[in-house]
Amino acid sequence: MRPAGVMRRHVAIVGNGAAAISALETFRTHDRDSRVTVASAEPCTAYSRVLLPYYLRRKVPYHHLFIRDAAFYRDFDADLLLESAVERVDVGARRLEFADGRNLPFDRLLLAPGSSPVRPPIPGLEGPEVQHLWRLDEAGRLDHLFRQGARALVIGAGFVSLQAVWAARQRGLVVTVIELAERILPTVLDDAGARILQECIVASGVDLHTNTRTEGLMRDERGTLRVSVEGLPSFAADVVIVGTGVRPNDHLLAECVEPAQRGITVDDTMQTAIDGVYAAGDVARGPVVGGGPRTVHALWPTAVEQGKIAGANLAGARATYAGSLSMNVTSMFGVTVASLGRFAAEEGDTVVLRDDLPGLRYLKIVVREGVPVGAVALGGAAAATALGFLRPFVRQRVPVADIEAVVTGEHVAGRIARGRAIGRVVPGGSGS
Amino acid sequence: MRIVAVDPDSCVACRNCEYTCAFQQTGDFDRARAHIRVAYYPAERACVPFTCMHCAEAWCMEVCPAGAIARNEETGAVEIDAARCAGCKMCLLACPFGNIGFDEADGVSGKCDLCGGDPRCVGSCISGALEYVEVEDAFAFRREALDTRLRHVLRLDKGRP
Ligand SMILES: Cc1cc2nc3c(=O)[nH]c(=O)nc-3n(C[C@H](O)[C@H](O)[C@H](O)COP(=O)(O)OP(=O)(O)OC[C@H]3O[C@@H](n4cnc5c(N)ncnc54)[C@H](O)[C@@H]3O)c2cc1C
Repeated sequence: MRPAGVMRRHVAIVGNGAAAISALETFRTHDRDSRVTVASAEPCTAYSRVLLPYYLRRKVPYHHLFIRDAAFYRDFDADLLLESAVERVDVGARRLEFADGRNLPFDRLLLAPGSSPVRPPIPGLEGPEVQHLWRLDEAGRLDHLFRQGARALVIGAGFVSLQAVWAARQRGLVVTVIELAERILPTVLDDAGARILQECIVASGVDLHTNTRTEGLMRDERGTLRVSVEGLPSFAADVVIVGTGVRPNDHLLAECVEPAQRGITVDDTMQTAIDGVYAAGDVARGPVVGGGPRTVHALWPTAVEQGKIAGANLAGARATYAGSLSMNVTSMFGVTVASLGRFAAEEGDTVVLRDDLPGLRYLKIVVREGVPVGAVALGGAAAATALGFLRPFVRQRVPVADIEAVVTGEHVAGRIARGRAIGRVVPGGSGS
Repeated sequence: MRIVAVDPDSCVACRNCEYTCAFQQTGDFDRARAHIRVAYYPAERACVPFTCMHCAEAWCMEVCPAGAIARNEETGAVEIDAARCAGCKMCLLACPFGNIGFDEADGVSGKCDLCGGDPRCVGSCISGALEYVEVEDAFAFRREALDTRLRHVLRLDKGRP
């Protein structure tokens, strides 16, 4: 029992995405007493950004985008403040300041506001047809703009952009992609993998130009947007999707952002330099598997893991994070694309390349001093499964003698090696 | 909770479990879509069935960005809701055992759901290799036995602690 007159501790969570939800759920397994407030800039319960392209593809219905409902916040005893964008964190006074002038004192704080898309300085890049694919409302607007036969311009060929392209093609749009860099997906695929995917993209009827600059947009006399692109005749666009990267919403705690860096720096407990103030997810620059400089791994699994650590520590549990491991998987243009860890080979690394394994068109594994450190796989669902087999080795830094044994399911030596790398997995949930 | 425990010493690779599972899950006898798989190692003359262990800390469930994976309160099984699954394959990448399959026709992931508490594979096993047992028994005894057997068939035990 709390002595009379002692206030309940107040934990504030800024954001209502992957990291925030994971933190809240974990926090409540440790602490049922404290007051919790979740402040979200958006007007709804938690939804999944990852699903937005699947919604545009009509694979996922609108109501399934929401991964938590109002009852969830009741069950986890959290006050959900909607349309409550935090503008500033007053660290000295320990309170949040909202855009509309309200403020909210806290004892402990988690910053999980994610990241925001950046708009490149291209002249004329404005109007109702110009959208990012990032928030739910933007996806809703794109859904209206996605009419059969409409002409789409997609600027940028990153992971989110290409998913938007695939959705647009599936909805019968005519799509042109303009990418400034030399190749698609630099952070997700190696050169050879990118080439294979690029062939699939072109084969699906997309007009794809890399190494090309979007010069500007103008409206013609009927109000239609016309695009000028270096080296191409100008063309009309009914939809423009801007996917030229995102940046962490780290302005909320600028004093914890290192010069010339992005992301709020956190230690392996997800705490910032300020006592009792934590950060997790896309906004956090945290430790990575295998050491090296802290990094922002703006990925869903990382947000979930970091949220879990932060949630435990907000309750005083002293959990530590082994570091994030970049992992990507998606299926688009008829191929499953997956990557893991550091797949760019450095001098002295051994590179395993295979194109003859069942279900895999391309597999590359980078091995450093006997330990696999990263991989790329393209093919069928087996691409995801193979990297799933490999992941424990990369994560725990376990040497592998026979890589093929590890990544193909039906191999007894691989089974044993995997068993060792995974370590103690406890089967069964409740009651175990 | 109980899980399907595997005794590789008894398995004779008849694949009844695969057929039964495929029929239960899909209404068809296409083994490739079964959620239990018998791996057969001809050189070692060994066969071992593998299926989901319904991990206490199920990473597939935590990481699912569609909120499509949940634990069945009654049976303890980690289950995929096919209606919510977007087919992103993040769970396939999350599972270190390869125990999640992908249904290309429907574009969704699928895995063992313990048939709602009455796993049909166990009923169809002719050799006693599959048992539906309490987790503690399955883990403390069966998994050790599995590893020992695998080491034995590979002659890995010599010279190892
Ligand atoms: C279209 C798309 C597809 C993606 N696909 C994948 C994928 O396949 N795999 C993958 O790993 N990752 C993917 N991602 C990235 C993934 O969604 C993010 O890494 C993940 O959501 C990060 O979680 P988070 O909790 O840090 O932030 P978010 O999930 O972005 O949540 C941030 C929350 O903070 C709120 N917020 C923001 N600013 C404020 C403020 N000032 N005050 C109050 N609240 C605020 C927002 O409203 C939101 O609720 C995708 C992203 C997009 C947009």
